[in-house]
Amino acid sequence: MKLHERFLQIDRRIIYAILLLVVTLPLVFRSPLKVTPMSPVEKLFEAVDNTPDDMAVIIDCSYAPQIKAEVEPMAIALLRHAFKTRKKVLVLSLYVEMIGLATKALNQVVGEFNSLALTANDSIIYGRDYVFLGWQPPPIVPMLGMGESISAIYVVDYYGNQTDTLAMMKGIKNYNNINILVALSGSSIPISWVAYAQNRYGLRVGVGCTAVSGADFYPYYQTGQFTGLMVGMKGAAEYEELIERRRGVEGRRIASEAMLSLTYAHLVIILFIIAGNIGYFISRRKQRRSQ
Amino acid sequence: MNISTDPWIWIASILSLAILSFLYKENPIFRAAEHIFLGVANGYLVTFYWHRILMPILFRPLFQQGDLLLIIPFVVGILYLTRFIPRLSWLVRIPIAIYMGYWTGVLIPATIQAQIIKQMQGTVLTSQNFQAWNAGSWGIVWSVIIFIGVLCTLSYFYFSREHKGVIGATSRVGIVFVMTGFGAAFGYTVMARISLLIGQLQFLLGDWLGIIK
Repeated sequence: MKLHERFLQIDRRIIYAILLLVVTLPLVFRSPLKVTPMSPVEKLFEAVDNTPDDMAVIIDCSYAPQIKAEVEPMAIALLRHAFKTRKKVLVLSLYVEMIGLATKALNQVVGEFNSLALTANDSIIYGRDYVFLGWQPPPIVPMLGMGESISAIYVVDYYGNQTDTLAMMKGIKNYNNINILVALSGSSIPISWVAYAQNRYGLRVGVGCTAVSGADFYPYYQTGQFTGLMVGMKGAAEYEELIERRRGVEGRRIASEAMLSLTYAHLVIILFIIAGNIGYFISRRKQRRSQ
Repeated sequence: MNISTDPWIWIASILSLAILSFLYKENPIFRAAEHIFLGVANGYLVTFYWHRILMPILFRPLFQQGDLLLIIPFVVGILYLTRFIPRLSWLVRIPIAIYMGYWTGVLIPATIQAQIIKQMQGTVLTSQNFQAWNAGSWGIVWSVIIFIGVLCTLSYFYFSREHKGVIGATSRVGIVFVMTGFGAAFGYTVMARISLLIGQLQFLLGDWLGIIK
């Protein structure tokens, strides 16, 4: 069998094995890769960073386990940024199966900050610095309802506390007190936030989405409907870079650690695509000649 | 190497490997893991809906606190189940009609505003749109490319006239934009899938085997 024919008949298991190798080795040997933040991520960072003291940031953790690898690093980076700069944070999920992941991210970051805190002022305290609103179905109810009153929609928070009795919520009544909502999702939820909450109440919407959704979401960034945009694991790595460089936020950078694996995997896939196409065109030409 | 002693991490890791074994070939271990996933996911959802929606929002206020207005959504919801009784199955049209009517009213104005009017505004060549790119004088170039791309792509999907002459030329340019869009979407899809693999490997090599920290 000639080389170009081999290109067309590579066993898929060999391709999987090569990919596994090129993805695993950089993870094991921890080779960092410098990430340059792009404008959409920078704009999101600046919008969160410029939140006034009397306003809050809403983080909508509507990501399911199947996209956790891409979106969870975004949630962790956003929470670290908000807590480091002492922004008030409201966390919610629009679907039930995502509640567990939102709780996990929140507990991890709160734990990181509180393990280093020396006084109550340094600590991240529930009800004072952040509130976990939980889940209220169907999604359109909180999207529209929070424009009028957050505590009327989330009468109790995820832990069963009366929302309007929490210290932080005294000054956070509705979207007028929200600087930006960041929707972390792998579906069309960010567009729904724009359609309902932004059109009607003027809420600013930032987005962290999977790479699959990236191509669909860029037009909304171009029109200004999305204030900022993080796409896929690379977007998360850029945000990690920004919070470390500009705000000195430390902690494990899960997305940044993956960048070298991602780059090598892309190179391997490009090589396989080129090899497959060369094989195909040579075979086709030989077939035509023989006819 | 610092292998985890947490039994949940072990269960998650073994199930992950069972699912990944499909890459070699279909096998009973993969199928077992697939069935466990479906069973657990359904059980979780049913339990969560019962405890977090039906009990606190409907049954408790209606039957324990006497909020009689909730009889209306309760009865309308129950009508969905008449689908299983052939003699009464026509009643299912009532909740479907209410659902469709509500969502049509809610969705149409919001969708037109967010996905059509605003997107059209983004295509128009204005100084505001040039600045949106944050690219200095290059903003004009990107905006013009978008303008041409939208018009040519739309002409490709105009089927009321044969694609000859001006429409033929613009539709050929349009297909270039369409293919470029597909290429971008495919590239992003590859990145997404590799990212998911990396995420799972970070879990297996880190949380489970303790090779990476």
